[in-house]
Amino acid sequence: MNQNQQQQASDGRHDDDAALSDFLASLMDYTPTIPDELVEHYLAKSGFQCPDVRLIRLVAVATQKFVSEVASDALQQCKARQAAVVKDKRDKQQKDKRLILTMEDLSRSLREYGVNVKHQDYFADSPSTGVDPASRDE
Amino acid sequence: MSDGGREIERGPEKPAPPRKPGGEEFARAFVKVAVAQICESEGFQSFQQSALETLSDVTVRYIRDIGKTAHVYANQAGRTESNVFDIIQGLEDLGLAQGFLGASDIEHCLASSGTVRELAQYVGESQQIPFAYSLPQFPVVKDRKLTPSFLQIGEEPPGEHIPAWLPAFPDPGTYAQSSTPNDRTTELKMAKIEQENQRIKPERSLLNLNQWLASNELEGPSVDAGDATKAKQAAESNPFLAAPLQYGEKEVSPVVLPVKTKLSNDTTTGNPIVKYHGMDNHVSVLEAFTPNIEAMKSGLRDSEEGHKKVLLKTRPTVQFKLGSGKKYLGSMLDSSPQNKSFQVTESWFGRLNEKDDKKRRAEQILKESVGNLQELDHL
Repeated sequence: MNQNQQQQASDGRHDDDAALSDFLASLMDYTPTIPDELVEHYLAKSGFQCPDVRLIRLVAVATQKFVSEVASDALQQCKARQAAVVKDKRDKQQKDKRLILTMEDLSRSLREYGVNVKHQDYFADSPSTGVDPASRDE
Repeated sequence: MSDGGREIERGPEKPAPPRKPGGEEFARAFVKVAVAQICESEGFQSFQQSALETLSDVTVRYIRDIGKTAHVYANQAGRTESNVFDIIQGLEDLGLAQGFLGASDIEHCLASSGTVRELAQYVGESQQIPFAYSLPQFPVVKDRKLTPSFLQIGEEPPGEHIPAWLPAFPDPGTYAQSSTPNDRTTELKMAKIEQENQRIKPERSLLNLNQWLASNELEGPSVDAGDATKAKQAAESNPFLAAPLQYGEKEVSPVVLPVKTKLSNDTTTGNPIVKYHGMDNHVSVLEAFTPNIEAMKSGLRDSEEGHKKVLLKTRPTVQFKLGSGKKYLGSMLDSSPQNKSFQVTESWFGRLNEKDDKKRRAEQILKESVGNLQELDHL
């Protein structure tokens, strides 16, 4: 993919086109986590129509990238929070070692992407998957 | 992904649940799985349910936003079908919040946009995690089988005014008889009435039984005494009522409404009785109905004397089965109805007293037991 930059630097329009079509062709071999049918369904709902599978894949890849970016940001938040908790309080919070996607971290990471989600303070989430209340309080 | 954009999109999404669930829940479930898989690949071990819901919701919005912006750009260019440039432009729009390198402008082609490069980079770096399930094509769109038009089946429309491209009429046999709906409604009505009757019948017989029990309790002994006044009242209340008829009619419950027995009386026996029935009609019908009416009004126990008599009389005559019913009928036939009925009943009662001593004793025992029952009931 460094090729792309080089090509852009040399700004050959033909090369850009070739890179793009190469990329699209490579999408045929790539299987995104978000299935094509799902993407197709939602795209069709928003009025988008295109018979090309590669474009569907493109959207799927873009979405996957977006989600994984959000998730990795949330993961960083989670790790930072856990580190802070460990530093402040006692170290024997083994349970907190588990990396859990919480609403708190998610809303923080989503804020950077222009989505403002508030963490519901008094929303009782399923306790099996949730964090323990001590860490949620803070 | 600006707030304004989502505000707009919230509009069409709101009425979705009442309209039809369609594949929406199904799709949501799969989005959750996909998002969970991505999160897992990022290193998360678990998640809060609400967080997963939110993230999958945002994911769906993202996909739809891409589709919408691509669609808008395609329309702006005068096309109905989107192409890759529309999508890239849409991605650039959505990526405005974070900013990206190499945005397309006059000097740079859209194909060399930074978003595409980032995407290509992502594809190259990230390992493939195929979706956990195999997904069927959805939502399933059923092929609607249309009725063939006149043109398709090669038929002439029956009227000049019907264009040939309209769907053909069904077979005439399916709609020619327009009286069928009427029949059906009447049938329904009949069925309803029948049902009502079925419902009323047991109630009525139960009512009669109760009344009979009540009257028997009160007046049993007086009948045994053979009082003249009692006999007179009995005669007044139409001696024909039950005796011969209930003998033959077995399917009717033992306690029957007087009117009913009289009607069947008419049908089974000859003319004289019909005549009699005609003369005595007023009284008998009234008396026949008073029990029900009275019972409705004043409860079962304290009812008027007259109808008590009726009930009382109907019951013992059922048990009177020594073939005297026929005789009785015979004497009835030659006697002029209105005047002699009284005597006839009197004689009948007399016979009852003389001959059926045994029977009476049995009856008494029965009545006593019934009375006991009534007392228990009162308690």
